[in-house]
Amino acid sequence: MRAPAEHDFASRLRSPAVAARVGVWLGICFGLVFLTGLISHYAQNTDHPIPFPTVPAWGYRVTQGLHVVVGYACVPLLLVKLWAVIPKLLARPPTGPSVGPRELVLHLLERASIGVLVAASIFQLATGIANAAQWYPWLTFSYRPSHYAGAWIAIGALLVHIAVKLPIIRTALGESLEHEGQDRSSATEHGALSRRGLLRTTWLATAVAVLVTAGSTVPLLRKVSVLGVRSGDGPVGIPINKSARAAGVTAAATASTFALTIAHNGREVSLTRDDLLAMSQHTYTLPITCVEGWSASGDWTGPRVRNLLDLVEAPRGRDVRVESLQESGPFRITLLQDNFADADNTLLALALAGEPLALDHGFPCRLIAPNRPGVLQTKWVTRLDVL
Amino acid sequence: MIGGLGVLVGLYGAWLLLSRQDLGQIVEVAIWFAAGVLAHDVVIALLILGVGALMMRNVPLVLRAPLAVGSIVLASVTLLAVPMLGRFGAKADNPTLLDRNYLVGYAVLVLLIAVGVAVATVVGMRHGELEEGTGSGASPRR
Repeated sequence: MRAPAEHDFASRLRSPAVAARVGVWLGICFGLVFLTGLISHYAQNTDHPIPFPTVPAWGYRVTQGLHVVVGYACVPLLLVKLWAVIPKLLARPPTGPSVGPRELVLHLLERASIGVLVAASIFQLATGIANAAQWYPWLTFSYRPSHYAGAWIAIGALLVHIAVKLPIIRTALGESLEHEGQDRSSATEHGALSRRGLLRTTWLATAVAVLVTAGSTVPLLRKVSVLGVRSGDGPVGIPINKSARAAGVTAAATASTFALTIAHNGREVSLTRDDLLAMSQHTYTLPITCVEGWSASGDWTGPRVRNLLDLVEAPRGRDVRVESLQESGPFRITLLQDNFADADNTLLALALAGEPLALDHGFPCRLIAPNRPGVLQTKWVTRLDVL
Repeated sequence: MIGGLGVLVGLYGAWLLLSRQDLGQIVEVAIWFAAGVLAHDVVIALLILGVGALMMRNVPLVLRAPLAVGSIVLASVTLLAVPMLGRFGAKADNPTLLDRNYLVGYAVLVLLIAVGVAVATVVGMRHGELEEGTGSGASPRR
């Protein structure tokens, strides 16, 4: 028995006419996840040469929800795309007297770029989908830098792929779906589905992928998203990412000795939760949006962070270092950039939905600011240092 | 020009990958890159080709198109369902994470797909013939 070769694949569905059309949508989706991913990466950076905007408050909710949902949508698109071009995997390098070393090298380079594209695409989808479910099956590498680097590699390889295939893509999109001008000579058999049928099925599978997952971030879809990583339930209707127990803060957060310290330029003010409650209280509806894509909107109440900074006479336009009671973890200390610190709707929340903050939501007090990744909405805040 | 830009962007990604983690971590990323390709090109691709060939040989003509559609949708949701069905990321102290009955949810999806395939088959039989593209689908497709 010999190994299968390119010409063994007989279905006329495996045509550039199909691959180009699925590829366009896959490319658009990759572009969307790349851009929204860049936004999320930048938002999580401490250094913002260009200030990350505080408006609209729901901006990050939309971009990160899109990032994750479009990532899910890529799965059926990539499956069908790879199915349509799988004969190419078995194609032999060009041979014959007319093939010079230059052609051979170009062919091998193109094959290598496809290999990188497929590897990076699968890596991005697999790690992203695992991360959204807080599943970390890898042993050593760190998710965020690896997923970030993988994104640049995938997009780079995608651009090379588009550049190489542009003439074929242009021709395919300019002709009717049924046109066979660019098909392999063996791709002639009609199968169960027409080309139109396969494309419609691909769009259907993509829509289903979105519907069954998007409820973690789109409240309207909660009931139908049977594979959503979050149903949206939680203390007062808002899910949590890290519990007080996991953060090891239960004792410190409930201790009667708890006090929030605000420091600026050698000056320190210490406030109990009652002191904070005695300040002017403000309520804003702000989303909590996890970097893993789920989000929920809540009515948060507490003093403005800006009013707290005024107590130590901190000028406007200063970054603030926010420290949590939790003893370890990469987000024990976060940086609240000056534009967020000064925003009217940046609160040190004491209550959610009219009820005192639950311990898992950050009791005694937690930061909640507009348009920010959830990992930076520090819970169990114990200290604010004006920088 | 697009190609040149792509090479630069890809190289920047490679530099990001190589410069921000230690060697052991980089090697594991490389292993995952390779494993992903193998998982698709060997396992998933062969599985799909095998199922496709079986279907074309053993399934009555009228059922083929609905079954092909159903299989593509089912394969997609099954891949997406892996982390949820396995509940690998579940945490005892966080009942708000992975808090659905995913087994029931997945079963409902499978059932809906099966109903869809059945309805489409019946409609196809009523029409006497399926839509365009199936007329000469007598030989196995690979």
